[in-house]
Amino acid sequence: VQPPEKPLEAEEWNKLREDFQLPEIFEEVMLNNMIRCNSPIDVAKSLLTHLAKRNGDIAYNMLVKYLTLCVQQRQVSEIHDVYDIMKVRFKILESGAYSLLIKGFSNSDQWRMALTLLEEVKKMMIPSRTCYESCIKAASRHQEMKLAFELYKEMLAKDVVPTLDVLQSFFNFSRGMEGAELQKELFGILLYLRENQIYPHKTFMRSIKLWFESMPGGNWRGRLTNIKDSGQCPVCKHQLEDSNLTEEEYSNLSERIIRDVIHGTDTFRKTSPKEFEAFQTFVENRLPFDIVIDGLNVSHIKSRKMQCENLFDAVNCLAKENARLLVLGRKHMLMNSSNWKREIMKEMQNKADFFFAENISEDDAFLLYATLRSGKHCRFVTRDFLRDHKACLSDSLTRHLFRKWQRGHQIAFSPSAEGRILKKSFSSVFSQQPAFRYDCVVQTTGDTWHIPYKDVFEEKYSYQVPRKWLCIQQK
Amino acid sequence: MQCANMLLKKIIRTSVFPFAAQHGMKKDLFPLSRTLSFSLCLKQDKSCEASEKLDLDEWKKVMKSGLQEELSETVSEPKELSGLAAARETLEMWRLAGRAVPENISEEQLKTFMECPSKSAKKKYLKYLHLKELHKKNDKRKMNEKRERRLEAQDQASNTDETKKNPFVCLWSSTMDKAYNWRAAQSMIFGQPLVFDMSYEKEMSVREVTNTVSQIVMSESCNRRSVDPFHIHFCNFKDDSLYHRQFLKSYKQAWSKLLITVTDQCYTEIFPKDKLIYLTADSPKVMKTFDHDKIYIIGSMVDKSIKTGVSLARAKRLGLETAALPLEKYLLWNTGAKNLTLDQMMHILLTLKDTGDWKKALEFVPKRKYCGFVKRPVKELKKTLDLINTLKLGKRQEEIEQQFAKNHPKK
Repeated sequence: VQPPEKPLEAEEWNKLREDFQLPEIFEEVMLNNMIRCNSPIDVAKSLLTHLAKRNGDIAYNMLVKYLTLCVQQRQVSEIHDVYDIMKVRFKILESGAYSLLIKGFSNSDQWRMALTLLEEVKKMMIPSRTCYESCIKAASRHQEMKLAFELYKEMLAKDVVPTLDVLQSFFNFSRGMEGAELQKELFGILLYLRENQIYPHKTFMRSIKLWFESMPGGNWRGRLTNIKDSGQCPVCKHQLEDSNLTEEEYSNLSERIIRDVIHGTDTFRKTSPKEFEAFQTFVENRLPFDIVIDGLNVSHIKSRKMQCENLFDAVNCLAKENARLLVLGRKHMLMNSSNWKREIMKEMQNKADFFFAENISEDDAFLLYATLRSGKHCRFVTRDFLRDHKACLSDSLTRHLFRKWQRGHQIAFSPSAEGRILKKSFSSVFSQQPAFRYDCVVQTTGDTWHIPYKDVFEEKYSYQVPRKWLCIQQK
Repeated sequence: MQCANMLLKKIIRTSVFPFAAQHGMKKDLFPLSRTLSFSLCLKQDKSCEASEKLDLDEWKKVMKSGLQEELSETVSEPKELSGLAAARETLEMWRLAGRAVPENISEEQLKTFMECPSKSAKKKYLKYLHLKELHKKNDKRKMNEKRERRLEAQDQASNTDETKKNPFVCLWSSTMDKAYNWRAAQSMIFGQPLVFDMSYEKEMSVREVTNTVSQIVMSESCNRRSVDPFHIHFCNFKDDSLYHRQFLKSYKQAWSKLLITVTDQCYTEIFPKDKLIYLTADSPKVMKTFDHDKIYIIGSMVDKSIKTGVSLARAKRLGLETAALPLEKYLLWNTGAKNLTLDQMMHILLTLKDTGDWKKALEFVPKRKYCGFVKRPVKELKKTLDLINTLKLGKRQEEIEQQFAKNHPKK
C-alpha cells in the first residue's frame, strides 16, 4: 500500500482499511510503509488519531513504529512526547524502544536525556553497541571528551565491541584540542587497533592523520606510502617491526597448537597417540627443518600434471637453496598408481625427508607441529588457509598470534596467478605471495606511527593484509 | 383553568424545542465530539474549537487521558523489580513489540532463559518456545475440530442405526501390542544384536540429548513393529545420566518394561571385537552388504554443530572396524550432511535385514537430500555414453572423456 501524502480524516482511513485485504494488520502495514517511504509525520499522526479514536488505545508496537519514523526525521519534541506517553503507560520498555529513544535524543539538544536512558537500560541488560555509539558520539560532539572516554571504557569492560565509527568519531572531535590526557586516550585507541589487528579504512585513516597534524605544538606530519618487501618505510626510512613472535609468544603458540589443534577433545579425531608419538620422534631426530611442505596440497597445483610431478617440481625448486626439507604426505602416496609413480617418489626421498601419515589422519596438524618445532626460521608451504585449525584455538588472543605467525611463515601463491605462469618455472609460483618479513599492524616507536589501512571499497579477506600505509612522523 | 394549563405546557414545550433542536444540530455539525465523548478534556477542547481542521495530536490526549485514572490507582509504582519478575516484564514488552516470544512461560523456562549466555541465545530460546506454543495450539485446535466432526458423524450414524456384522475380530491396539511384545521378547533371545552407543553425552547440548532420546524412542518403536526385530542394546549407559532422565520423561513407567538390554558395560566387553562394526558417516570404508553375523553399532548422538570424526575417533580408539552407508554409490546426492537420524538408520537397517535390497532401504533417506537413484553403476554409464558419442557425433575419444570427467568428478 502506498501511504497517503496528506493527513486523512477518520472516514478516509476507514475506507482505506476496508479496501485492504487484511484489515486486522492494516495499520501495522501502513506504518511500516510510512517508515520505508519516510512519509510526513503528520500523516502518521492522523493515522494514530484515527486508531486512538477507534480503539481508545494504541498498541505498543505501533508507538514504537511511530517512534522510528520520528527518529528517522529527527522530530525531537515528538520523540519526547512519545517517551512521556510510554513512560506512564508501561513499567519498563524493551530494548528496541530504548535504542530508538537514545538515538533520537542523542542527535538533539537534549542529548543528556540519552545518557539517563542509557543508565536505565543498564539496569536491565547490557546495552547494545549502537546505544553506546549514539551516546559516545553525542558526548564527543559536545566536546565532553572525558565523558565519551568513560563510556568507551565501560563498553570495552562489558565486552561490547565498538564500531569503527565510534573510534573514528574520537579522532574527528578531538581535532585541535589540547591535553596530554586526551592524547594518551587516543593513542590508547590506536593500540586497541593494534591488539585486535583491526585495519582502519581510508576515511578513518584520514581522520587519524588530521588529528595528528592538528595537535597543538606536536609538529606531526603524516604521509601515505607503500612499504617495501624489505619492511623499510620509504618516507622515514624506518624499519618496521619484524613478523617474528617473541620467545614467550612462540612457545605459547606451539603449546596451544599441540593442545587444541592436534589433541583437541580427542587425539583420535585427527590422528592417534601412537602415530603422533612416531611423528614426534621422527621430527626430533631430524631437526631442524627449513621448509615444511604439505605434499598433498602442493601436488594439486597444476591439474594437468601428474600429482607426483608437481611435488617433484616443488621439492626440486626448494632444494636448490640448500634447505632442509620435510614433506608430509599420506601412506597412499607410496602405492604405485597412475598419479604416484614409485621411481619419482624414490628420487624425491633422496632430496627431502618424508613422513607418511595414515590415510585417515590429518596431515595439516603435523605440518604445524613440525614447523613450530623447527624454530622461528622455519617456513611452510601450502595453499590451505588453515582456517579450520585456527578455529580450533580457543581464545582470540591465540588466534591473533596464529595469524601473525602464519603471515610470517607461510609460503603460498594466489590461485589467480596459476593460469598465467603455467609455462614458467615453478619458482615464480612461490614468489606470488611470500611470507612477510615485517608485521602488518599499527605500530609506534614514540616519534613515529605506522598505520596500515584499507581502501573502503577494497574487498579484503581475513587472511590478506593491506599494502597501504600511513606514516606519521614527529619533527 | 385546564385550558390555561394546557397552554402553559405548550409554551414550555415550544420554548424547549428550538433549544433542543439547536443542540442536536450542533452535534451534527461536529460529528467528532460524539465519538470523543469518552474523554472529558477532549470534549471541552473540541466544543470550543469551531474549525473542521484535523487535530493531529489528538491521539496523545487520548493516550494520556486514558491514563489519568490508571495513574491515580498505581501512583506508588516506582518499585525496583528483581530477578524473575523483571525478566517476565521484559518478555511481556518484547511480546508487545511483536517479537517471537511465547505468551505463557513457566518458571523453569524463565530460569533457562535467564541463564542463556548471550542475547542471541536468549532470542533463539524464546523463538523455540514460541514455535512450540504455536504448534501446541494448532494441534489442540485440530483435535477439537476432529472431535466435533466425529460427534457429528456419530449423530448421523445413530440416526441411520445400521449395525454391520463384521466377520473378523476387531484387533485393538492392546492386542497388537501383545503380539509385538512377543516378537520383541523372541528377539531378545534369538535376534541379531544392534548396539546404541550411549557415550556421547559430553559432546552434546541439552537440546541435542533430548533430540537424541526422541529419535531413539522412534527407532525402538519401529523396531518393535517390524517382522524380525533387532535385539537392541544400550551400551555405556550410565544411571541417572541426562539420557536416562530424558528416557524416563518420554517412556514414564514403560521404561522398566522395555524389551531391550540396557547396560553400563561397553560393547567390547559384551561381544567379540571382530564381530563389531561401528557405523559412522566419516568412515573411509563403505558398507557393501548387510552381514547377519555382525553386530552393528550406532552412535547415539545428534550433532548440530558438525563435529566431524567424533564417532570415528571412538572406533579408532577401540580398534573396531567401521563402515559408512553407500549413499554416494546409490544416490545422486544433493544437499545436506551424510549423517542420518537414528530412526532413519533403524529403518534402513531393518529393511536391509529383511530384504538386502539397498534401493529399498535407502528410500528412507530424506528426499530433500538427494536428486534420485543412480540407475546403473558409473562405469556402465561411461561405456554407453562413449558408444553413443562415437557413433552419433563422431567426437574424439579424448574430448568425450574430458566431458565425462567434468560431469562426474572424482572424489
